[in-house]
Amino acid sequence: MSGVLKQVLLAACVLSAAQARADITLKLVEVLTSPERTETLQSLVNTFEKQNPGTHVEITSLAWSSSFEKLATMVSAGDTPDVVEMPDRWLSLYAKNGNLESLEPFLAQWSETKELNGRPMEMARLVDKTAYMLPYGLYLRALFYNKILFKQAGIAAPPKTMDEFRDDAKKIAALPGKSGYCLRGGPGGLNAWIMFGAAMAGNNIFFRPDGGSTLSDPGWVKGAAWMVDLYKDGLAPRDSVNWGFNEIVAGFYSGTCAMVDQDTDALIAIAERMKPDQYGVAPMPKGPSGKAYPTVGYAGWSIFKSSLHKELDWKLIKVLDDPAGNLIWNKRVGALPIYRAAEQAPFYSSDQLKGWFQELSDPDEVPTLMPTNLPGFAYFADSLVVRTSQQALLGQISPEDMNKQWAAYLTKAKKRELSGK
Amino acid sequence: MEQHGKWYWALHYFLLAAFVIFALFPLFWLLKVSVTPNDLLYGEGVRPWPSRSTADHYASVIAHSQFPLFFRNSVIVATTTAVFSTLLAAAAGYGFSRFQFRGKYWIVGLMLVTQMFPLVMIIAPIFSLLKPLGLTNSLTGLVIVYTAFNLPFASFLMQSFFDAIPKDLEEAAMLDGASRFAAFRRIVVPLTLPGLAATVGFVFTAAWSELLFALMLNSSSAASTFPVGLLAFVSKFSVDFGQMMAAGVLALLPVCIFFVFIQRHLVQGLTAGAVKG
Amino acid sequence: MTAQPRPIKRRANWRDVSWRRAALAAEPYLYTLPSVLLICAVMIVPLVIGLSYAFHDVRLLDPTSGDFVGLEHFRELYADPAFWNALRNTVTWTVASVILQFGLGLILALLLNRLFPGRALVQLLVFLPWAIPSFLSGLNWAWLFNPVVGPLPYWLKALGVMAAADNLLSHPRHALWGPIIANVWWGIPFFAITLLAALQSIPADIYEAAAIDGAGPWVRFRRITLPFLAPTMAITILLRTVWIANFADLIVIMTKGGPADSTQILSSYIFTQAFQRLDFGYASAVATVLLALLLAYAMAVMALRAAIVRRN
Repeated sequence: MSGVLKQVLLAACVLSAAQARADITLKLVEVLTSPERTETLQSLVNTFEKQNPGTHVEITSLAWSSSFEKLATMVSAGDTPDVVEMPDRWLSLYAKNGNLESLEPFLAQWSETKELNGRPMEMARLVDKTAYMLPYGLYLRALFYNKILFKQAGIAAPPKTMDEFRDDAKKIAALPGKSGYCLRGGPGGLNAWIMFGAAMAGNNIFFRPDGGSTLSDPGWVKGAAWMVDLYKDGLAPRDSVNWGFNEIVAGFYSGTCAMVDQDTDALIAIAERMKPDQYGVAPMPKGPSGKAYPTVGYAGWSIFKSSLHKELDWKLIKVLDDPAGNLIWNKRVGALPIYRAAEQAPFYSSDQLKGWFQELSDPDEVPTLMPTNLPGFAYFADSLVVRTSQQALLGQISPEDMNKQWAAYLTKAKKRELSGK
Repeated sequence: MEQHGKWYWALHYFLLAAFVIFALFPLFWLLKVSVTPNDLLYGEGVRPWPSRSTADHYASVIAHSQFPLFFRNSVIVATTTAVFSTLLAAAAGYGFSRFQFRGKYWIVGLMLVTQMFPLVMIIAPIFSLLKPLGLTNSLTGLVIVYTAFNLPFASFLMQSFFDAIPKDLEEAAMLDGASRFAAFRRIVVPLTLPGLAATVGFVFTAAWSELLFALMLNSSSAASTFPVGLLAFVSKFSVDFGQMMAAGVLALLPVCIFFVFIQRHLVQGLTAGAVKG
Repeated sequence: MTAQPRPIKRRANWRDVSWRRAALAAEPYLYTLPSVLLICAVMIVPLVIGLSYAFHDVRLLDPTSGDFVGLEHFRELYADPAFWNALRNTVTWTVASVILQFGLGLILALLLNRLFPGRALVQLLVFLPWAIPSFLSGLNWAWLFNPVVGPLPYWLKALGVMAAADNLLSHPRHALWGPIIANVWWGIPFFAITLLAALQSIPADIYEAAAIDGAGPWVRFRRITLPFLAPTMAITILLRTVWIANFADLIVIMTKGGPADSTQILSSYIFTQAFQRLDFGYASAVATVLLALLLAYAMAVMALRAAIVRRN
């Protein structure tokens, strides 16, 4: 072969090799960030990069407290990620605005799809009955209680009913400087109002067939009044009207209040600061109807429609969320697994997590999904509920008034959803 | 100086002490929390000093977090902003001080208007503006934005410094054949060094502590400044107060050191311009 | 521009003069233009865009939004009790902060105006709060007010100001004072520095002459100090008021606007509407109203200052 031809062929070979090695960068955004989670995520990502040479994943970790505003600003200006961690509350917002890619075609071809638990997939399909995310775990509420304070107050076992709960709270509040319940009066407190409201009402139906909200019904109002009384009668700390997640968890592990309703992920913070014999987890106390309605939330991974590498994105999600990855991830983040078989894993039979599995196997503990896909739900939960619940706790409005306002807002939102806005 | 009685000086020192205590107490508390070990944080919250102090928080912040990177970014951004702002503001301030020109009051009015609305309103437009230029997620973008934010006040400051320097000085130099710019550079500027120092100080402090835009415009840690880093200590699961306060104390050091040097010039510089108001 | 004497020679000099005139006329613009351009690009253009949102239905993330709605948001705002509540709080917040910052700053400036041993050190120490970032300062003060970890509730109880050692930030009627105190702590140095500078520019002989004439300290203060300070005071107070009215950081960090919106000011309300309700249109409308109010205030103060200067 002539020298020139050889050179050209060589060049062509090098070029095509370079082309094949052309680096693709995927942008992965996590929002429920903590240093430990980022570490675990990075190691899962490393596995993915090894399996897919030439692909690099850039992890962006947003601080949770500002992650919503941050992601919204980025997305609205066109700075979209490829794969994003998607909490349940944001799903309907991004899905309805057409930002997310449907995962149905991927799920249809995946071998692990049949291993998935029915419930998480139901939640993933809340918008347009299409899976816009692959969940990685469930967050189920249960009751954390302080064993030491209980012993001091002479209480043998965690409360099984709301009446017992109130009595126990009263006994503990009689101890100097202690309170019974770590009330979350600040942002994020809606879940507790819903749980106790539903337990009092005996059902977790949010809307009547015509789209009207049930929250102004007497049962729900009684539940709200019950909670307001907890605060008014001094069974929750005076300061708790302003408390958010960090404050209630800190209140619990500092021994200021003896009971708090939280998810499995609070376990991480609490287990770091309390010894296993100092606290326990029990199912949520039941209302007069004999049922309790612990709220359940979820989070997962979504692909943005604007991504140019959807096949690779799905491969990444598979690494993060296949049975192996899911177990690793959930051990770190403390969510309940999405795979049926996972519940047998030794990690989940630990003492701490027993409380949740007890809840899951009790037919009278009915996991309740919040209506997060309602348009305007975020404003409802983060603004309207915070303001009105604080007003009710402080006695500025009555619990009936508060529930009426909630029902009015939710009815309007539901009607908008039904009319297809 | 007139003579004052004992009571006068007693009151004088008493009030001064009150001010000093008021100013320093929260900083002392900051320091105290930064050396309190995690398990004593809530139990011993109210004590003036923890029963067992620890340097662990400082160690983890320096060795195990990305704080040194954030710190470095903050130094770069704040210094660059301070320098650029002061240069541009000096020019603008000089222009306002020495010239009467058409549109002057419009420009001054415009600068005043920029101070009057919450910056939250322009986050989204600025983001959309910078994204196509590739200036989001970069320190350069931050410097540009911060410089613009600080220019109005910095120009106002520089104007008042220049107002205190009589015009005849440059005019004499110009009559001798120098261009106005040369006169400005060689005669006026050296006289306003205290004023320049004051402006650099104000802008540095403002850029050093800015959080909102640093948070919204930049997402990667390579481009994050230390206020954003402080936010990272507030995770969904707990607020790591010990580490956050330790990081806060560390972040205060450069500003305080800077302050030590320039605060004398601050007062001096402002004195020169204060007469004009 | 002073008139230049016309030279007798024609052609070359005419162009010369014209060029020189143009250069001279352009000079001020050359000095100010870089700043003006940067400010326009980064602040004015986005501001105009932001203001335009006030007249459109702009929902973040919703690509189908953006229709022109005219004055709809302003009508909504007028009927919104949360808006009026925030407006009232903004006035309380701003007036209390400015008065306290100014008053205490003036006292501090007067104290520092006398020479005494250690003055340089004291000056440095009392000006330190200015250097603390608002985020850190907010968290610090929230910590101080929390009875679990801070001493203030106990001191307030001991002083009889509070009935029990509670967190001031949870009392709807008084919660706003928490951020106000933090704001005053942070803002005294600004006033102290500027007022001290102004005080030091007052020639000492005026005081001496007045003292010789028999004027007591209070009279000297009223007749000499205040009039000298007045022009500086006017601009400083104006700027500070405007800044404080827009300054929501401390409130957002210490109370998030609660409890029950009792500490919500317009600035934090705008943030809530923009990022929680994702309603940028409404948020921009509220911001427009705030801007208009502050503009009116600014013009009033400028007029007042001009009147004082004329009187002097």
